[in-house]
Amino acid sequence: MKDRLQKSLDQQLENLPQDIPPPANLWPGISARLGHRSRRARPMVWAAAAGVAGACLASALTWAVLHGRAESPATLPAARAPTFDEPRNPSYVAARDNLELNFRERLALLDPATRARIEASLAVIRRAHEEIRKALASDPASPVLEQLWQSTWHDELDLYDHVVRATQPTMTRT
Amino acid sequence: MGAVQMRQSAGAWATAAEPVELVAAAAGGDLKAFERLYWQFSPRVYGLCLRLTGQREAAEDCTQESFVAAWRALAGFEQRSRFSTWMHRIAVRTVLARRRGLRNEYEVAEPASALPEVADPGGAGPPLDLERAIARLPEGARHVLVLVGIYGFSHAEAADALGVAEGTCKAQLHRARGLLTAALGLEET
Repeated sequence: MKDRLQKSLDQQLENLPQDIPPPANLWPGISARLGHRSRRARPMVWAAAAGVAGACLASALTWAVLHGRAESPATLPAARAPTFDEPRNPSYVAARDNLELNFRERLALLDPATRARIEASLAVIRRAHEEIRKALASDPASPVLEQLWQSTWHDELDLYDHVVRATQPTMTRT
Repeated sequence: MGAVQMRQSAGAWATAAEPVELVAAAAGGDLKAFERLYWQFSPRVYGLCLRLTGQREAAEDCTQESFVAAWRALAGFEQRSRFSTWMHRIAVRTVLARRRGLRNEYEVAEPASALPEVADPGGAGPPLDLERAIARLPEGARHVLVLVGIYGFSHAEAADALGVAEGTCKAQLHRARGLLTAALGLEET
């Protein structure tokens, strides 16, 4: 008899619904608190930021190197390379490839010391870019990282542009 | 999402495959994916919290805290266990932590009769006298009964989640059953 009662109780417990819908207004309160990922992601942000700082320094260094060897600042066109916000955009990729090709051709014309310094600058930018890519993988919604990501693309393009423009053959300027 | 939809989604959850892709996306920071996980899993988490605390407001707080904690910890979740199991453990820990925090400030009253107001989400709902009787169980007995009797934890899992010995867990379940049997008038006459 006792067993039967116990089975009856167990049966009743098993029949209770496990799911009870929460109030509909619970999610907005939760989502409002989800702005930041775990703290483990934080060092990645700072690492990425440090990478960008390095990339900017590399860009500045390259600029200084190239301007130091140029005939005069006035001979360098002021226009910047076009900016591209979407690295996967086909027109971006084509333009970037073309610019990189020009950059490689012009780089080969420079003296070994200058070329080495520019290559080192490019390596710094690309390392920063890779660090930010990893950070973005763990925190894709971060506007800060997205901004840093774009800035390294711009840094790389700026470097290509500086080299190409600073090494324009004199005969092309009319 | 309405109550009916939520019931359907919750019912599907019991037999659904593990949401591996959603979990991976959410772990990567995809808030939309996490929101879908919330709608899929929150009825069970809320039900668990509601029955463990016996108080609607506390259950809402604990559900919120559980999902916020899950979001923060998702990057480290390696999917070796089921997401639902992982969420359950977070919910139980959250309820216990909240209880401990409140105890430090003042003695908390035993659960009030909040459950019957919400325990009938669909119409063919649970027996309210049983829900009331569960809500009035002493805390230790209620926790074990809810985890083992309703949510299907093994004694080992319940003991681990509650931070008690397995023997204590069994004793509390025995006690809970006795109290419920008496409360529901199921005694031999």
